[in-house]
Amino acid sequence: MTGISRRRLLASTASTFVLSGLAGSGRAIAATAPAGNGAPHADTEWRHYAADQANTRYSPLDQINAANFNDLEVAWTFKTDALGARKEYQFEATPLLIKGRLFTTAGSRRDCIALDAATGELLWMHRLDEGERALNSPRQLSGHGVSYWTDGTKERILYVTIGYQLVSLDAATGQIDPEFGVNGVVDLKRDFDQEIDPVHSDVGLHATPLVVKDVVVIGAAHTAGDVPEIRQNVRGYIRGFDIKTGRRKWIFHTIPLKGEFGYDTWLGDDADKAGNGGAWAQMSADEELGMVYIPVELPTGDETGIYRRGNALFGESLVAVDIETGLRKWHYQMVHHGLWDRDIPCAPILCDIPHNGRIVKALAQPTKQAYLYVLDRTNGKPIWPIVERKVEAGDVPGEWYSPTQPVPSKPPAYDQQGVAIDDLIDFTPALRAEAVEFVKNYKIGPLFTPPVISKPGRWGTISAPGVQGGTNWPGGSYDPETHIVYVYSKTQPSVMGIIPNTDMNVSEFAYVHGISGMQPRKMPRMGAESGGGDFRPPPPPPPRPGQKAGGGAFPGFLTIQGLPLLKPPYGRITAIDLTKGDIAWQVAHGETPDNIRNHPALKGLKIPRTGRPGNLGPLTTKTLVICGEAGFYTNEYGVRGAMLRAYDKATGEEKGAVYMPAPQSGSPMTYMLKGKQYIVVAIGGGNYSAELVAYRLPGKA
Amino acid sequence: MAHKRTHLWGSAALGTALLVLGGAIAHAQGAAKTVWDGVYTADQADRGKAAYGEQCAACHGPTLGGIDVAPPLSGNAFLGNWNNTSAGDLFTRIHDTMPLNNPGSLGAKTVSDIEAYILQANGFPAGQTALPPNQAMMAGIKIVATKPGS
Repeated sequence: MTGISRRRLLASTASTFVLSGLAGSGRAIAATAPAGNGAPHADTEWRHYAADQANTRYSPLDQINAANFNDLEVAWTFKTDALGARKEYQFEATPLLIKGRLFTTAGSRRDCIALDAATGELLWMHRLDEGERALNSPRQLSGHGVSYWTDGTKERILYVTIGYQLVSLDAATGQIDPEFGVNGVVDLKRDFDQEIDPVHSDVGLHATPLVVKDVVVIGAAHTAGDVPEIRQNVRGYIRGFDIKTGRRKWIFHTIPLKGEFGYDTWLGDDADKAGNGGAWAQMSADEELGMVYIPVELPTGDETGIYRRGNALFGESLVAVDIETGLRKWHYQMVHHGLWDRDIPCAPILCDIPHNGRIVKALAQPTKQAYLYVLDRTNGKPIWPIVERKVEAGDVPGEWYSPTQPVPSKPPAYDQQGVAIDDLIDFTPALRAEAVEFVKNYKIGPLFTPPVISKPGRWGTISAPGVQGGTNWPGGSYDPETHIVYVYSKTQPSVMGIIPNTDMNVSEFAYVHGISGMQPRKMPRMGAESGGGDFRPPPPPPPRPGQKAGGGAFPGFLTIQGLPLLKPPYGRITAIDLTKGDIAWQVAHGETPDNIRNHPALKGLKIPRTGRPGNLGPLTTKTLVICGEAGFYTNEYGVRGAMLRAYDKATGEEKGAVYMPAPQSGSPMTYMLKGKQYIVVAIGGGNYSAELVAYRLPGKA
Repeated sequence: MAHKRTHLWGSAALGTALLVLGGAIAHAQGAAKTVWDGVYTADQADRGKAAYGEQCAACHGPTLGGIDVAPPLSGNAFLGNWNNTSAGDLFTRIHDTMPLNNPGSLGAKTVSDIEAYILQANGFPAGQTALPPNQAMMAGIKIVATKPGS
């Protein structure tokens, strides 16, 4: 029975079909596999952002393996410069692969394209020029990709535009589906249980739609809430739409209305006056259980919760809702009344794991705080105990502090949490000594140490992980055969100081995220407000470099002689064994940055590879974990670039590395086509504009 | 005669070419600057800081630390990504693509001011000459994370 449930969970994509075939399990699955599967070199597919609705980012292919990874060659590249009015440098998409065609969003206008997966040739392109509506969006550029639906005859590609419209296209032609919405488009700013301005309102989405059965589920994203402009921002409700007609089937209120479940977790009428609370991450779905798993961010105010007092559901909660009705099945709040901008940044990975002698339908949620929360996905109960532990309160007037926070007992944290003296840079005793002096000007402490009022000599709380996490939007990867989760994370602390604000033109919040002495700055909702008419007199000049201003050249900059404040690794990949709830291995991921390798204070020292910070999604295959680097480095030939690296998934030992002209910006995916395995990854950044690169082994294609 | 004249003219042309080439070499040597050579002024960085607050801080953070959708502009991640490029490359990237909601709107002078502030925030020294408001004129200024000769 357990095999059946796992099979059903994974049967939603053809690529996972081959998993069963190659695994030699002998399980026969009809499902949606294309003709010819079962043969060792049968074509495979990649039908969802992270391979499947379970978000495993797993493929059982093995043509590319440890023995030949270094032989990989570029099969083709696709430059996205011509899409949109200007080049893009932040290409975060993972393409889908269906019947030899790649589908993705791309370019600075987020056009939707289809490519020949063997050659990279453009098959079709769909473009919606949304004018000012797009310029005002809080989520610009190409986004994370598209979604696919078929009933066996019709095939649809769905994507969300920069201006928050849902488009349904014929996968064969790129023409709009005239039966969907109005001329193939659903205006997501309507039918939203709130009246919002269609051009200026603060809502958009990078994530792909989630297609599950005949429903397409749409999240919501807003401008970051460090210095929220207004209190009653758009609410990030989640909706399900009929995939054939575009008609709204359901809505889930992530900020509950009066009378709804969760409303009483807010103090007073705070819930009536809050905004945000969207789900900007990818989502997961289990068709058999009939549930969609929604990672929800905070209500308005990323580091200040004075207007959202209480635990304030469904802030920083994972919510399971019914696919057909959107009704809540269960929820699990990972941070109570969050003050650290933890959101839940990526999809939970659905996994059927052996636990106490039986197979449990579980999920594993990577997070910014570097805990992997493992829950029973049928009911939201923790697999290993998650204990409420007392935490410190801060000193921000009007703030509400949760007395406790939930702390998983297993698996252990997979990245640096909190800051202690032992965590500070220690390449040399002199650097450590300088760092010890430096942190005297900040508050440090364990994971849930709250942000504090910023003042000279105590500029704020150094939070690790920082605002960008730990893990962010790419999420993790999972091997369903061995029950191991692979997740990238970075060690990049942030200063969380709080400063008063009296200028209602800047923010309606009395306290905002900032550093003492810096004027609170408006975080304009994208668009109209930038430039002109908003000029403020410049703040007092900063201290000159080299001149100490209480523990560093500039308060808030967490470096010691230009080196990171905390010990390496700065970026790492961790393998977490869900059969035990333990870490199997961990490696520093990414070459040591140039400025560290060549730093005068480190001359003569042998620094092991430090890894580097970024946002990366690893790909797992039959034998390898494959992940590109997050940043450029200059190699021994003096050439800038980044490496696509492959690790033995059993041990973490590096087995190969292939040059890329720019860092990985989207997450790699893989497929078999006409007997050849391809790895495709979006790259770009710095001075190198966005590009899709396909690798395969030498020989006739 | 015609032949000779041509030859003479040819010599002159060669001489001019050499002069031009020599000038080019001299120019290249003169321009072989790095961001450690004081390529912006403190006043410019102050202006840049104000402009950064207006135009950039919303996404890249008050201390250039980045947020979920925008990369850091200081420290390791930034220096790694831009090491061995030029001030002109960084100028182009900012000028052509930022801010995301209104790319191309900043104007060259503001872009060079903001770039000066970013250089300052990353610990590169100020000098007597401002970063010019022009990509071509700063293409010869190399961004190197580590001070040459240190």
